[in-house]
Amino acid sequence: MFFESNVFKGRSFAGVLCSVLLTVVAFAQQPPEVELSDADLIRQYRERCDYVIDQTVAATDPNDLSRGSSFTIAANLRRGANLDWARQRLRLSNDPPSGAMFWMHPMVLLMENGRGVLNDEDWAFIRELWRTYFPYRGDTENHWIMYYVSLYLAAEMFPDAGAEAWYNGKTSVEIMADAKEYILDWMRITTSYGQGEYDSPNYIEEYTRPMALLVGWAQDSELRQKGNMMMDYILLDYAVENLNGLYGGAHSRVYPRHLLQPSLTAGAAHGWLLFNQGEYLSNGGNIMIALSGYTPPPILFRIATDRDKAYVHRELKRTRWRFRHASSEAYEIDGKSTIPVYKYSYVHPDYILGSSQGGLLQPIQQQTWSLVWREENAKGKSNTMFGIQPFSSPIEGTMYFPSDWDTVTDLIARSKVDYDSEDKLEGGSLYEQVFQHESTLVALYDIPEGTRFPLINTLFSRDVNRRVEDDSGWIFGQGGPVYIAYRPFAAGDWKPVDWTGLLKGGAGAWFSTGFAELSEGSECFVSTSLKNGYIVQIAPVSEYETYADFQDAIRALSVEFDLEPTPSVRYTNLDGVELTARYGETPTIDGKLVDYAEWKLFDGPFAQAERESQTLEMIHGQERYFLDFKNNRVETSVLSE
Amino acid sequence: MMKRTIFTLISFLAVASASVASDSAIKSKLFTAFAMTKAQQASSLPTDSGIFLQGPGDGAWDRIGPVIQAMNSVASDPSDPSKIFIACGNGIVRSLDNGASWRMVTGWRESDFTKISIDPRNGDNIYAASVWGVSLSRDGGESWQAANKGLAEQYCRCVIVDERNSKRVLLGTDDGVYESRNRAESWTAVRNSPKSNILRMARSGADLDLWIAGTEGEGVFLSKNDGKTWESASSELEGTNVYAVALNPKTASKMAAGGWVAGVWMSDDRGKTWKDRSAGLPSKNVTAMTYDPVHTDRIWVSTFEEGTVFSDDNGETWKDGNLDGAYVLDMDVIPVVD
Repeated sequence: MFFESNVFKGRSFAGVLCSVLLTVVAFAQQPPEVELSDADLIRQYRERCDYVIDQTVAATDPNDLSRGSSFTIAANLRRGANLDWARQRLRLSNDPPSGAMFWMHPMVLLMENGRGVLNDEDWAFIRELWRTYFPYRGDTENHWIMYYVSLYLAAEMFPDAGAEAWYNGKTSVEIMADAKEYILDWMRITTSYGQGEYDSPNYIEEYTRPMALLVGWAQDSELRQKGNMMMDYILLDYAVENLNGLYGGAHSRVYPRHLLQPSLTAGAAHGWLLFNQGEYLSNGGNIMIALSGYTPPPILFRIATDRDKAYVHRELKRTRWRFRHASSEAYEIDGKSTIPVYKYSYVHPDYILGSSQGGLLQPIQQQTWSLVWREENAKGKSNTMFGIQPFSSPIEGTMYFPSDWDTVTDLIARSKVDYDSEDKLEGGSLYEQVFQHESTLVALYDIPEGTRFPLINTLFSRDVNRRVEDDSGWIFGQGGPVYIAYRPFAAGDWKPVDWTGLLKGGAGAWFSTGFAELSEGSECFVSTSLKNGYIVQIAPVSEYETYADFQDAIRALSVEFDLEPTPSVRYTNLDGVELTARYGETPTIDGKLVDYAEWKLFDGPFAQAERESQTLEMIHGQERYFLDFKNNRVETSVLSE
Repeated sequence: MMKRTIFTLISFLAVASASVASDSAIKSKLFTAFAMTKAQQASSLPTDSGIFLQGPGDGAWDRIGPVIQAMNSVASDPSDPSKIFIACGNGIVRSLDNGASWRMVTGWRESDFTKISIDPRNGDNIYAASVWGVSLSRDGGESWQAANKGLAEQYCRCVIVDERNSKRVLLGTDDGVYESRNRAESWTAVRNSPKSNILRMARSGADLDLWIAGTEGEGVFLSKNDGKTWESASSELEGTNVYAVALNPKTASKMAAGGWVAGVWMSDDRGKTWKDRSAGLPSKNVTAMTYDPVHTDRIWVSTFEEGTVFSDDNGETWKDGNLDGAYVLDMDVIPVVD
C-alpha cells in the first residue's frame, strides 16, 4: 500500500532559528495559500517564529524594570538584546519567586536561552532559586507535565549536582529519573486512553509549552523525540477541530471571556503561528514554541486549513481523575478512576458543531457542546452558541479536588468566580445528556427538585442576527454564514448575559476583565423547567435561497417530544435522518443505537487512532504521517491511489 | 489521626532520648497544618501555608519545614523525633536532622497525602494516607509502595498504628473504617463502621479501647471495644460533617467533636450526653481540634478562616490562639526534639 516511507528519529530544530535573519515581516491576515510546498510552509512558519521573537524584544522597555516576564527575558537573551535590563529584571521578578510550575517552565526557557549569555553571578542567582524555592506540583494534568518537564530540564543542565543543590533534596540524577518516568507515563496514558484535560482552547498551551521545551532543549534523545511527537499529537488534536484558528467542539476547560469570543484563546494564537490563521496575538506559548525550534510537519498545516468538505470527527477522551463519587461508568487506569468522554464534531467549511455526551466530565470549566462559525475577521466577534445547565455542587468539587465538602465550592469560587453562579457560561452537569448527528444536536435535561440552580441557559450571542421566535416553537437566527434553528421543549425567557452583580467586588481579575464589553448585547434563553431539552439544527446559508426558505424547511420537520415522566424526543432532521432519545438511555440514529463501545481515540478522515494503540495516524490526501509512541518512531509515507 | 497523649508519649520519650543528642530535650508539642485562605481572593493560591509548632506563650506559632503549598499534616518518629515527615500535596518531605534539612522522599506516583502514622516500635514502618490510597514504607521513608488491597475506596484521610499491636493499623476511608492486621498488607472493612467518609479519627490515651471518628454527613461515632464496632455517639451531631474530634489524654470520659455550622460539642460522660460549647467561638465552622499536650484540660479549636481558640474550662469560655485567616487542615500533638 505504501510506496514510499521515511522513518526518522531524533529530529531537533534547536538552534535553527538562531541562524535566521532578523526579518520583521508585516503579518496582516492573509487568506491561506493553497498548494504551498513543504519548504514554503516551513519557511513562512519560521518567519512567523522570528516575528514572535522580534515583537517580544521590541515590546521590551529597557528603562522599565517593573515589567517583563521570563518569556520576555528569554527572547531578549536569545537576541542578545537589552542584556542589562534582562539581568536586573531576572532578579527583581524573582524577589521572591512564585507561581510553582508557572514559574518553573519560563525559568527553564530563560536558562536555556541564557547559555553563553548569562554570567557566573547570574547563574549563581538562578541556582540559589532552585535550591530554596519549593514549588507546588499542582493538582491538574497540565500542572504536572509542566512541573516534571521543567524539573527534568533544569536538572539536565546540571547533571552532576548533588542533593544540596535542589529544593527537594534530591540529586540531579534522581530528579531526572523520576521526572522522565512521569513524562513517559503521561504520554503512554494520553495515547492509550485519551487526554484528561482534553481539547482546551486555553490550556492547549499548557501542553505545547512543556513539549516545546523538550523539543528545543532535552539532551535525552528519547524525551526530545517523544516531546516532538507529542507536540504533533496535541496540535493534530487542535488542527482537526480548527476553523480558521478557532478551536471548535466540546472542551474540557474554557474561560467565559473565551467562550464569548473564541478568537481570544491561546488556541487561536497558536493558529496564527502554526497555521497562518487569524491574527497575531501576544502569547507566552508562542514565544516558547518560536524559541524552541519546533517545526510542525506540513501535513498539520494542510489538515488545519483544508475545509473544502464537511466531515465527522470522533474522539475518545477521559475525565480528570476522580478521587470520589466515581460512578458506575468509571474504569481504572493504574488504580486511578476516570470515565470515558465521547466527543463528536461536525466540521463544515462554514462552522463546527461539536459535543460530548454531557455529565460531569470535567470540573468547573467544561463546555459540553458548542457551535462556532466562520468569520472573515473573528476579532471582536461572538461567533458562537452553546448551552449549559449551571450545576454547582460539592459533589463536583470533591469528585475532582482533594478538598472538604463544606469549603470546596467557596475555595473554587475564589479563583473561578462564576462557578457558584446561575449566570455562569461553562461547566458540566449531572443532569444533562447530549448527542449529535452531523448538523443536528439534541440535549435532554432531568433536573431533580432542590438542585441549586434549577434551570438551563442557551447562549444567543449578539452576533446571532435576525432572531425570530416562531409560532411553531422554533427560534431562528443567523450567525455569519449559518442558519440556526433552536427548538426548546419548555418555555423560557430572555436574559442579558450580565455579570455585573457577580463582579461588583472586582473578583476575577483577568478572568473578568472587560467582561461587560465582551457580553454586551448577548442574551441567554433561560428555561426553569426541570424536565427539559432542545434541538439545535444548523444549516449553511448557502444551501437556501432565502432565510424564509430555511424556516419553512424547519417547520416542515417532524418533532415529537415528551417531558413526563422522563424527557424524550423523536426528531427527523433536514437530511431525513431520525434521531430519538430518552433521558438516561442510549440514543438512536435512524433506529440504530449509538455505539459508544466502538468509539476510537481518533476517528475521522484526517486522523485515526485505536484505543490503547499509543499511535496516531494523520492522513491528508495521499499523505500519511504516523506517530508510534511504543517504538519511538515517526513514519511519513504516501498512500497509493 | 494519631492522637498522642502524655502517657503514651512518656514511653516514647524514654526510647527517643537514647537516640538523640544528650543536650536535647524531647517534648510533645501541638502543631497546626494550615493554608491562609481568608485573604485568598481572585486567586487559586492561599497567601501562605505551612506547618507550625506551638511556640512559647499562648497563641505563638513557629514554622517548621519548607514553605510549600498544600501541607496537610506532620508526624515524627516516636522512637526518634528528630525524624520528621510532612504530608503534603507534593508527596512526603522528610527531615532526619530535626528540621535542619529536608528531602522529598516520594516519587511522582505518590502525592496528596493527608496523614502519616509511624510504628512506635519500629520507625521504619510508616503508613501514609492520601486521596489516592495508602502508601507504606518499610525503610524509614526511603522507598514507598501502594497498600490498597481490600479497600473499596482508596480515598482516605486518617491512619493510626495500634500502639499495643503494631501489626494493626486502622484507616479512615471514603467507605468507612478499615483495619489491617498485617501491617497494611491487606485491609478489611470494620463491622458497624459508619459507611461514609471518615474525616477524623482519634484514640484515647487514657483508655486504649476508646476511639472516636468524625464523619461526612453522619456525625460522630465512638468505638468502646478498640475499634471493633462503632456506634453513633451524638444525636445532636447526626447529619453533620464532623471535621474535628478529640479525646482528653488524662480523662477518658472527656471528649469533644466539632463540625461545619455545628460549633463545638463536649461530653464528660464517655459520650452519653453532649453539650453545645459554641458560645464565644469566632465561628461555628470548626475544622480541627485537639487537647493540649501540656495543659491536658485545655482544648484547642480551629475555625474556618476566623482563628484558632483554646479553652481551659471545658468550653465555657474561649481565648484567642491566633491564626486568624487560616484554614487549619490538621491540628495534633507530636513528639519533638526541642
